[in-house]
Amino acid sequence: MSAHAHAASAELPLDSHSSEGKFHLFVQLAMILSIITGGELLIIYLPIAHWIIITGLMFMSAVKFVAVVYIFMHLKWDKAFNTILFCIGLAVAGGTMWALLTIFSAHDSMPVGQAYEQL
Amino acid sequence: MSSHAAAGHIDHHHDATTTTGIPNKKLFMWAFLASDCMFFGALISTHLIYRLHPPAGSPDPRDLFSIELTSGSTFVLLMSSLLMALAVNSIQQGAVRTTRKYLLGTVIFGLIFLLGQVYEFNHFVHHGGLTLSSSLFGSTFYTLTGTHGCHVAIGVLWLVLMYIRSFKPADAESRPSWLWKSLLHIVAWAVAVVFTMWSLMDLTHVLEAGEPLSTFFSHSFIHIALGLVGIGGIFALSRSSGPVEFGEANAIDVESMGLYWHFVDIVWIVIFPVVYLLEYILQA
Repeated sequence: MSAHAHAASAELPLDSHSSEGKFHLFVQLAMILSIITGGELLIIYLPIAHWIIITGLMFMSAVKFVAVVYIFMHLKWDKAFNTILFCIGLAVAGGTMWALLTIFSAHDSMPVGQAYEQL
Repeated sequence: MSSHAAAGHIDHHHDATTTTGIPNKKLFMWAFLASDCMFFGALISTHLIYRLHPPAGSPDPRDLFSIELTSGSTFVLLMSSLLMALAVNSIQQGAVRTTRKYLLGTVIFGLIFLLGQVYEFNHFVHHGGLTLSSSLFGSTFYTLTGTHGCHVAIGVLWLVLMYIRSFKPADAESRPSWLWKSLLHIVAWAVAVVFTMWSLMDLTHVLEAGEPLSTFFSHSFIHIALGLVGIGGIFALSRSSGPVEFGEANAIDVESMGLYWHFVDIVWIVIFPVVYLLEYILQA
């Protein structure tokens, strides 16, 4: 066996089936995420109600978010504790966003200053 | 070639030596990412609140934003995430050379994203008049996207260091020379990145101004030359010889870095519709 062939055999995956399966899964997921991104671009030009567009965008964004976290970041194969830990962070972040957007309404966030007084 | 490749199968998702059963590095990274979620949550909501009150005469974000550029950046970051996932998959099999190729691809895609952001900021400041202090919209926009850009830049730096780390020789006697070689490797990367990006920015200015390409080559000759020297240096220093102390056992290091990189991607997945696409809907 040549040195080159020997090197190649040393790099052979021990669980090549699982590795190849993940390779295809990752590539397929990337393609799906690209298509969803295309959908996000498309939906903003559709002549439909704004609330439908915004809901659609949020939904597609959430699907992409979960897919990346679950598959690319390996949560699917990891212990549930990692998922719980990350979800706690997400829940606090979501709560912070909800609180800020509720407290500071459009009127309350009106800035002051010379440039704004011309409005 | 990995010295660990033949060491046997390693369970990359469970670690029996820790009380949680999770490798400590991975647990640390998930805890950090959970805290970073709160950081970006606050920045995104601040932008959503203050984008509503532009001062008189300030530019319309819809005229300022380039949906083509931002979509391209989104696609590039998505593909870099794919390459990062494939790099983790490769190192978990002990395939060091394949891992290096994927890491290199991830770095290149990350740099393309950063170049797009540098171009965008430059365009906004010089052509749109949107600065950090021109309006609250500018302040919150630059703070949010700039913080994300800093995260990408840190990720690129981490990727480059991991790439260089993958050449560490297994032979202990070669380590002192490897240390100097790796320092040179870092310098080569810095020169290549700075001057290649500088040259590309010069090129976009020349193309936008409608000037001939000869202007670009004559004005940016030094930048192009230094960029090429840096790239040449990277290739020269990336020629591996002999066994290396990098392999399947280092999969947790690559995976932790991968978690960070994917997080940068998921933050952009939120920023893209909330900061950019939302402006097109609400002003239509």
